Amino acid sequence: MSKEKKESVIESSIKRKYKLQAKDVKVWYGDFMAIKGISMDIKPNKVTAFIGPSGCGKSTFLRLFNRMNDYVDGFKMDGKINIDGSNINAKDINVELLRKQVGMVFQKPNPFPKSIFENVAYGLKIQGLKDKKFLEERVESSLKQVALWDEVKNDLNKSALALSGGQQQRLCIARTLAVEPSIILMDEPTSALDPISTAKIEELIYKLKDKYTIVIVTHNMQQASRISDNTAFFYLGELIEYDKTNKIFTNPEKQQTENYITGRFG
Amino acid sequence: MNNIRKNRLKDQAFKVWGIFCTLLGLVLLAVFIGNILVDGIMRIDWEFVMNLPSRKPEKAGIYTALIGSIWVLLLTTLIALPIGIAAAIYLEEYSKKNKLATILEVNISNLAGVPSIIYGLLGLEVFVRILEMGASVLAGSFTLALLILPIVIVSTREALKAVPKSIRDASFAMGASKWQTVYHQLLPASFGGILTGIILALSRAVGETAPLIVIGALAYVPFAPSSPMDEFSVLPIQIFNWITRPQHGFVENAAAAIIILLLITFVMNGIAVYFRNKWQKKFK
Amino acid sequence: MLNLEDHREILNQSGLEMFQLVRKQFIKSKEAFLNHDSDLAEEVLHTENRVNGMDLKLDRECERFIALHNPVASDLRFVLALRKINFDLERIGDHAYGISSYIVEVDTPVNKEVLEKLDFEEMYKAALSMLDDIRDAYKSGNAKKARKVFKKDKILNKINLKSFGVISEEVQKDPKLIDQYLLLFSVIKKIERVGDLITNIGEEIIFYLEAEVLKHRKKKGPSKSSK
Repeated sequence: MSKEKKESVIESSIKRKYKLQAKDVKVWYGDFMAIKGISMDIKPNKVTAFIGPSGCGKSTFLRLFNRMNDYVDGFKMDGKINIDGSNINAKDINVELLRKQVGMVFQKPNPFPKSIFENVAYGLKIQGLKDKKFLEERVESSLKQVALWDEVKNDLNKSALALSGGQQQRLCIARTLAVEPSIILMDEPTSALDPISTAKIEELIYKLKDKYTIVIVTHNMQQASRISDNTAFFYLGELIEYDKTNKIFTNPEKQQTENYITGRFG
Repeated sequence: MNNIRKNRLKDQAFKVWGIFCTLLGLVLLAVFIGNILVDGIMRIDWEFVMNLPSRKPEKAGIYTALIGSIWVLLLTTLIALPIGIAAAIYLEEYSKKNKLATILEVNISNLAGVPSIIYGLLGLEVFVRILEMGASVLAGSFTLALLILPIVIVSTREALKAVPKSIRDASFAMGASKWQTVYHQLLPASFGGILTGIILALSRAVGETAPLIVIGALAYVPFAPSSPMDEFSVLPIQIFNWITRPQHGFVENAAAAIIILLLITFVMNGIAVYFRNKWQKKFK
Repeated sequence: MLNLEDHREILNQSGLEMFQLVRKQFIKSKEAFLNHDSDLAEEVLHTENRVNGMDLKLDRECERFIALHNPVASDLRFVLALRKINFDLERIGDHAYGISSYIVEVDTPVNKEVLEKLDFEEMYKAALSMLDDIRDAYKSGNAKKARKVFKKDKILNKINLKSFGVISEEVQKDPKLIDQYLLLFSVIKKIERVGDLITNIGEEIIFYLEAEVLKHRKKKGPSKSSK
């Protein structure tokens, strides 16, 4: 096999092994360099946690994977972001299609001011899927996945804003699941919730791992250690350490990582 | 202790002053309305509403002016609404937020404060003469539409701004295009605010006199307009006309017409307040 | 609410206190045995209460530390190691106690010649130096020092193995003294056990410092190039 062919075979098998990849990614907001050259490979069907002090770039980095940074004034980026081996910033990429494959859950639950049903069906409706029966089935299965179905099944037309915070967040997750993405990005999904709702959602994340690849940004060290398989520690726009969660929390390689997770700084 | 006493006195003093100012406005309004009612309420009957204008005060009615006002109101709405809302959506959601956008925003707000007679002059030249619409309902409507356009744009933008960013984020993150987000999320969510803005703009338009006089809305129109190209009159002009007549009967007529005009205005404002309250509840 | 670093320092000091306490017990028991000093032996017996009290206190403190601070990484390894170290130190104290209680019960001192044949003093000295090494390793966080004890433990094992033959010989020479010799035999066993306990502590210290688990593995002494 020629050298080029061999390299491409190796590269493509690496690409298939990794669901999400970043290659020497740099990000600027105007003159400010938010990400200073990060490379990272994320395996499928795992939960990867991003930890680090405020302002270290973890949310920015997360949002690269569904191109939500495109809406920020002055955003500029260098390097490659691949999903399933394809560069998502290529000219011919349909951003809306990308976002159906990569779902996102935000810090503060943000259901639409519509009914519960309308919320979950929204992603399907904007794709043009109108068949009533299909929508009903999809809504039901999504709400079941987030363990919300029993609580709301008799009241699907109730306004989503009437639900409690924890329920709203689960609704937002259901809404994301309804379009059947393969990747779910979560930006501090439980930081606005009480401990019991947090526990329910962590349980949910743990269950979802089987079908989805999940990346979660969190400020809560215990949460990262509880639910993630791998943890990445960010500091001032750099990736300091990225390893199995177990290793990071029992014996991290870098002193900075140790200082952060033991609470010595940050 | 003296300081505390002083502050308490200041507090009381302001309270008294505030009550006085509020009452002053209310009392004056009450006096005015009372006066008008006394003068005109007896005059209002079905004939008054249905009669055409006449030289004799007891035979004169507001029919043509009323129909003219309704025509103008409807056409103004049809013209100003789509343009105003579309412009607001573009400015708020699509255009880049650069220096040009800021200049544009300031200037649109300024346009809302331009004296309405200027709009009349503009309407006269552009719509009546250049576009040869004549002194028609259409010309009047276009003129008024221009006048209320800044109000529609600004209030629509405010209503859109009031929709939290998190809704947009959620919609985009689900793979919706900008237009889908506007159509499915932003417009429904800001509907109440937009509606309020429109009604307030229209309730201003219904009372405009100067610009319509300039473009040639006649005071003595013996027929109600039956097409947009017809000549017309409106209630405020009719009122103005009657006030300038010497016969005492016309004073009564004017008062009666004022009552009807006030009624229309109050009802429109009431609807606006109702919708504003309903809309605010949505985000609780 | 105690800050994590301060709390850890308190634990550290308590651990050191336990080391000092047990070391003193061990030295006293040695002196008492060699000089057949029953008063000194009584001292050891009385101090056992303090050792037990310290053991309980340290255990409680470790539990509190874990509950309040949710430690991770080196903090976690430290407190896990400390609990085990505490346990082992308490056992060493037990052995010192055991040696002293025999002195109290038996009247006659042991024959000096037999002690020499057994290399008894050498064994005790080695054990004591291991104890010092491990205390220093704990105090200064020095894994190299901790590794030293693995080699020294071999001395104890050697002497222990030899002791069986020597004692059985002595018993055959003078069967009337069998009580004494049985006592001697069990003391030697206790010292050998102390050596084992010290190597356990060494493993724990290395686990804490280097996250390396040496349990159930063949242990090498410090290499020339180790840190």
